[in-house]
Amino acid sequence: MTALAAPPATRRAPRAGRGPRMRRRLAPYVFVLPFVAVFVAFSVYPLFFTARLSFTDWRGTGAATWVGWDNYTYLLTNPAFWSSLGNSAVLWLLIVPVQIVLGILVAVLLNNAKLRLRGLYRVAFIVPFVTPLVAVAQIWVVLFDQRYGAVNAFLGLFGLPDTGWLTTSAWSKPTLALLFLWKTTGFIVIILLSGLQSINASIYEAADLDGASKARQLWSITVPLLRRTIGFAVVLQTLAVFQMFAEPFVVTQGGPYGSTTTAGYYLYNHITRADLGTGAANSFLLVVLVMALSLLFVRLLRAKD
Amino acid sequence: MAANPERTRLRIGSHLFLMLLLAAFLFPVAWALLSAFKPADDIVRSPLTFDVTTFTLDNYTAMFQDVPIGQGFLNTAVVLLLKGAATMFFAPLAAFAFAKYQWAGKHLVFGAVLITLMLPTIVLIIPLLLEMKELGWVNTYQALILPGAVDAFAIFWMRQVISAVPDELLDAARVDGCGEFAIFWRVVVPVIRPGLAGLGVLTVMNIYNDFVWPVVAASTERMATLQVVLSTLAQNITGNRIGADYATVTGELLAASSVALIPLLVLFILLQRHFINGILAGSVKG
Amino acid sequence: MQRHLLRRRALLASAALAAGAPALAACGPDIASDGESGGSSLLKAPDRTEGEITIWDRSGDLFEVFEGVIADFNAKYPDITVNHVAVDIDAKLQNTLITGADVPDGVFLDDAKVGGFTDYLWDLSDVLAPYAADIAQQKLDVNTVAGGVYGVPFDLDPGLLFYNATALEAAGIDVAAIATYDDLLQAARDYQAAVPGSAPIHLEQSAFLGQLQLEMYASQLGTSIADADGALRLDTPEFERILTFLDTIRSEGLGTRAEYLTPTDIAELDNGNQVFYPWAIWFSFAPQQVLTETAGDWRAAQLPAWDAGGARSGAMGGSSFVLPKDGPNADLAWLFYEFLMFDEAGYTAVWGPGDVYPEGLATSIPSYTPAADPAKPLYTEITALGGQDLWTVATEAGAQIPGGTPTPAWWAGAVDYLGNNVQRMLDGDMTPQEVLAQSSEDIQTNLVDRQ
Repeated sequence: MTALAAPPATRRAPRAGRGPRMRRRLAPYVFVLPFVAVFVAFSVYPLFFTARLSFTDWRGTGAATWVGWDNYTYLLTNPAFWSSLGNSAVLWLLIVPVQIVLGILVAVLLNNAKLRLRGLYRVAFIVPFVTPLVAVAQIWVVLFDQRYGAVNAFLGLFGLPDTGWLTTSAWSKPTLALLFLWKTTGFIVIILLSGLQSINASIYEAADLDGASKARQLWSITVPLLRRTIGFAVVLQTLAVFQMFAEPFVVTQGGPYGSTTTAGYYLYNHITRADLGTGAANSFLLVVLVMALSLLFVRLLRAKD
Repeated sequence: MAANPERTRLRIGSHLFLMLLLAAFLFPVAWALLSAFKPADDIVRSPLTFDVTTFTLDNYTAMFQDVPIGQGFLNTAVVLLLKGAATMFFAPLAAFAFAKYQWAGKHLVFGAVLITLMLPTIVLIIPLLLEMKELGWVNTYQALILPGAVDAFAIFWMRQVISAVPDELLDAARVDGCGEFAIFWRVVVPVIRPGLAGLGVLTVMNIYNDFVWPVVAASTERMATLQVVLSTLAQNITGNRIGADYATVTGELLAASSVALIPLLVLFILLQRHFINGILAGSVKG
Repeated sequence: MQRHLLRRRALLASAALAAGAPALAACGPDIASDGESGGSSLLKAPDRTEGEITIWDRSGDLFEVFEGVIADFNAKYPDITVNHVAVDIDAKLQNTLITGADVPDGVFLDDAKVGGFTDYLWDLSDVLAPYAADIAQQKLDVNTVAGGVYGVPFDLDPGLLFYNATALEAAGIDVAAIATYDDLLQAARDYQAAVPGSAPIHLEQSAFLGQLQLEMYASQLGTSIADADGALRLDTPEFERILTFLDTIRSEGLGTRAEYLTPTDIAELDNGNQVFYPWAIWFSFAPQQVLTETAGDWRAAQLPAWDAGGARSGAMGGSSFVLPKDGPNADLAWLFYEFLMFDEAGYTAVWGPGDVYPEGLATSIPSYTPAADPAKPLYTEITALGGQDLWTVATEAGAQIPGGTPTPAWWAGAVDYLGNNVQRMLDGDMTPQEVLAQSSEDIQTNLVDRQ
């Protein structure tokens, strides 16, 4: 890009010989300044604060006591901390693969300009995305009630027994995962659609001529060409799943038996108990984990190049 | 579209599949919108039926009487306007710097964007709150607006969009004597308008639906945004509802949720073309 | 969005930035220096009666009740303006106290949570002194931490045995004969024999409410999960006895397992499968506002005793009013609560018939004993209880509640261990002994030792 550096401005008489060039060198710094200011004020400062807090015992009032690595050793040797990570990992497994497969199928179908009702489908899939979560939570509680919920009533038609969707630790994660899928799949569909737009239609025409079935085309043409977009979606959703807090907060409050106590919700538990030092240590561990996961995915994507 | 049996089967199959999903996606929202017109007791007692003869506006009247939803709308509007404007202006501007300039420290600052993207809100809640305390900003609009005012995802995404703007266009503008900001404002912005439209809708939705930070940052009714109002209402149901009038509150909550949902739904349906095309604009070959 | 989705170099740079953070850390709370010993935290009664107070309440029926009392308060104190707001207290109180900004003058709070906030609250022992002798001992005890009293006791919530009189009568069961929990089990067996498929006794499925109910049974036996010094006393014969009782209900199939007043619970109450509900008085809300089929069929009696002649009630839940030190007019808020709780005009307005509860606030009784006089009912006969005189039943039960201990600050946190383990027992996955041993160990290491 620097090779294309602008020739000295000529048409209008420059104020000073080095003005435009200088301004061009300074411009990006000015342009990112507002972001950097907000970042320093509302991310860096709180992060440093959290860092220091994580080595103390502090209840939100009075003086904090320096406790060294105590909060970290407490967390790292506490089964509840590990199980909160485990819960998030299981939710990831329940959400991300399903969402990607479903997202690709829907995106491919919606990408067909001749599809009837395309506008309707597009709106329908994004509606959950705009619905307030607090309302959704209530809807979920009513729909998944063990004996009188719509879901069990429907499954009962096929002779299936009532399931304690929100009351048993076996089903609470799938039920929560379903909520997350419902809420965010529309957005993933749109991201995948954006990837599909850049695939040249002529590839499919050639495959049609070769007599390849649609299913085969999907698997051998679309998916490989979409790999980068899929990777992007996976990274986005991984971040979202490991940060998940609001969903268990409003639907299950982390239960039953802590089975939906995600990494984010476990951290919140320390805060509600005013154990801010432990909460800070937990925050740091979570940030490190999320960053490590992101790096891992980026590396996996690179390795396939 | 000749009578190719595979094609036909595929077409019917895909519509069946999409219809099924459509039903699953719309059912919960439709349920909430309809149930808000049922007598509060019936919502809890028989959630699945809808009896036209018992149609009532009681939940709405009770809600408008008990819940400061007007104040909620007002606060949300203020935050939406200011925070939205900040993101809509500063995020593309920063993205422009990342996409079209070479400068020392670019990777470091872009790393900051990624960090912001990766930081769970919940991690920052307590330190941010204490920072607001130090600044004397608790229960102010600045506390609701400034943290996250230049959204990282917006920068990340606009960077993709702006990358697609041909460099030649920018250089031509420079030849014409445009300053760097003028290039952004008069060349880049018009070109990426579809992307900006998409960003606009997404930003509105994110700010409108945000509740984790506002619940913490706005403890007074005067500052409560719409989502804070809703979560205050929901607390009676999700918490241990000792003595709370469960049915009435559920009815009010559904009415309030409907009122909160409808503007966004209408906005989205009106702008869906812009939104989706806008997001698709990000795909123009990278 | 095809190329350069995430730049590895940028990510590495960001990782380095984050790794450097702990080293820099110049900001944070003061570390062990000032020590908050400042002024006295003993609230004195104000010598002024003018100003504005901000009062936080949960939204819902109680909010409406208190809202209705403000006019009566203003009749006595015309110059105190009450700014009454409905707030999500669980989500907001702690953060508000930490930041000290816009702190309310008075807050409605669950008794179980008072202990967690005492650092921020006025000690009310001085202003409460004239009334203390007349306040139910259990309510005073739960609000007492290290000699200070941190809440104005609001309601007393005696546990009662709610039962479906119509259904039980039809099955030939005499509730008056139920004097002990063994009698209750027998009555449940008899009812099940008469109504096959029924599961007569409520078994709470919410971990939080289950633990609260457990404390009700324990309160009857004069114990609780922590002693007066906050030390754990869970692994005791009393708790084993209670859990064994619950486990018997489970193993014999006598219990309806449901969360309090969720649709399942309501339906099982309304169809006559669930006929015994040992719960705090606030269950009376169900026949009054939730149940349709069986609304007039329910009655309340004192709880059975653990041993013949033992206490026939225990406390379950309840709330108090706390006054934050940072509230600018907390002293005036005291006048508000003093009026509400200890002035006849006040407590009559709270518990007496009103717009919200036409028959009176029959979901609790006053904790101030002169107000809870069996001879002077504040609320009328309750239609949903078949016209029963709930006031007499409740006040007589309330008088039997043994004294209590302050609820430890970690009580709500214990739900993750004790509350959950009780549920595991009801799933059939743990024995009562295992529940007590395991919960004691977990609560000790994760909560008590980390205070």
